[in-house]
Amino acid sequence: MKPPSEDHDLIRWLDGEMNDTELAAFEARLKDDPVLAKEADDLRALSAGIRDHLPAEMKVPHADFFNSQIQVRIAQMDLDEIRQKQTGATSLADSFLAWMRKPWFATAGAVALAVLGLVWMRPHTQDTAHSLILSSYTPGLGVEASTYHDNEADATVLMLDGLEEVPADRKISGISVHRSETEPEIAATTLFDAAGSPLLVISRDAVGHPLFLTNTPRG
Amino acid sequence: MKALLPTLLLLIAGTNLFAQEKAAPQPLPAVKPATEGKVWGALIFATNDASQLLGSQEKAPAHLGPLNDRLAKVFAFKHFEILGQHQQDIFREYESWVVPSRDLFLKIDSNGPADNGGVKLHLQVWRDQQVLVKSDAVLRPGSPLFIGGPKWKDGRLIFVLLLERK
Amino acid sequence: MPSSASTDPGEVSDIDLVKRSQAGDTRAFDTLVTKYRGRIYAMTYHLIQNETEAWDLAQEAFIKAWRALPNFKQDAAFYTWLYRIAHNVTYDWLRKKKVQGDGEFDDERTEHRVAAGAEATPKGDATPDTAMRNAELGQRIQEAIARLSPEHRQVIILREVEGLAYEEIAALVPCSLGTVMSRLFYARKKLQEQLKDVYETTL
Repeated sequence: MKPPSEDHDLIRWLDGEMNDTELAAFEARLKDDPVLAKEADDLRALSAGIRDHLPAEMKVPHADFFNSQIQVRIAQMDLDEIRQKQTGATSLADSFLAWMRKPWFATAGAVALAVLGLVWMRPHTQDTAHSLILSSYTPGLGVEASTYHDNEADATVLMLDGLEEVPADRKISGISVHRSETEPEIAATTLFDAAGSPLLVISRDAVGHPLFLTNTPRG
Repeated sequence: MKALLPTLLLLIAGTNLFAQEKAAPQPLPAVKPATEGKVWGALIFATNDASQLLGSQEKAPAHLGPLNDRLAKVFAFKHFEILGQHQQDIFREYESWVVPSRDLFLKIDSNGPADNGGVKLHLQVWRDQQVLVKSDAVLRPGSPLFIGGPKWKDGRLIFVLLLERK
Repeated sequence: MPSSASTDPGEVSDIDLVKRSQAGDTRAFDTLVTKYRGRIYAMTYHLIQNETEAWDLAQEAFIKAWRALPNFKQDAAFYTWLYRIAHNVTYDWLRKKKVQGDGEFDDERTEHRVAAGAEATPKGDATPDTAMRNAELGQRIQEAIARLSPEHRQVIILREVEGLAYEEIAALVPCSLGTVMSRLFYARKKLQEQLKDVYETTL
């Protein structure tokens, strides 16, 4: 093994970390020392090979899911934060009640509790009891999804804009499904009506698209 | 060939089921897959022109309250008609389909329970063979999700999804 | 330091996306995730050599970045800042593995496996024979890097893949410049030993 200074010279040359003077001196040495020159060539080839075969960017497996999971976790963190704040408020109340049990603090405590009560009665600005859309992806060109919670309707809205219209002459028909049975082995679900008769079997084809089998002609 | 196998299996399953269509209702399977709860899904047609309504007699579950009034707060239409509806288990391990219509339907995958009795879901809204939107959502019981879908005639198709209380 | 990816003229700049993310716009942050997930995943994958763990760690890096965003001062490029977070997340994970004593830091152990499905961004067309030889060579290089100790693997990735200067590597690891040079030298010697049939010429 070479002395450390020489090791460093070789890799500093390889990595372009030498100044002009050092570079000139080292290249002169390379000319005079075939063993060093061979080692330098081998290391340079190795570096090039690594750079060629270790991409700086890779395709992320299940990339959509990667992103959506991040959004889910961010939303979860927000909810946890809100919950912690609520728990914090409760702990504060508990200790406050403990202070109130002290006779000398009764009057002041009662006043303060009334004030605290007023604070508590203010509606929460962020209600987490309703449904949430955490993230959306619209594969169609020009299609956009937006979401909000409509307080008047007390509903969460996912609005899809830019969708292609359904032709007016196309008959859209509904069905009424009362129960279903799933068969995991063949990834098929059978849907039944109120009378227990099968309406549809739904599964997926090789590319994951839904596949229907029905005993009634399509409307 | 890959595409052929599920098609064949589906045909076999379908043939057996539809052959018994006129017979007694199918018994429930002996072992029911684990579920996270139930959802109710409906396809709604919203329009201002009453003559365009199809005359469907479908009714929303009573516990949802006046659904049409709630829809009218979000969508600027006078008439709302339930074209189809579907009550569906949310399977813990398997995908679940909510198909109130073959024209517009949902695929749901559970991502586990959420607070306040909710369920985390991955939703896909499908129109025929095309996925319109993929969403990650938290559904909470009693809090419906209104999905504003494509325009049809002079109105709009709307999907309503509701997590039922346990 | 790695800087941000080249941007299309119509593309929203990182600065705008960061500002919107700092204001709580998760969709803006989602755009940043999409933009940089491939580079962050490549870094975690090269260091960990396990597809599942690398995927989780890349995600962890983005979550940490989201949490730390309020403190991001825009005095550095967003990617440089994100890269530092991802590197620290990954290296902390490797340290924990070391503490758990599963031999991750033992150079002599050779049972690291490279995920067979690890997919590199395609670089271009090649004839089937060349492509196969290339794939085999790539596999061997990845296996050789997997056998390095995490310290050696780290400096090789930072230098060869990310193209960091010695000072930048020293700041990121952190360690002295001399340590960077020593580690790079010994890492290369070990790789050379393993790949001598490919990268060693005769005099």
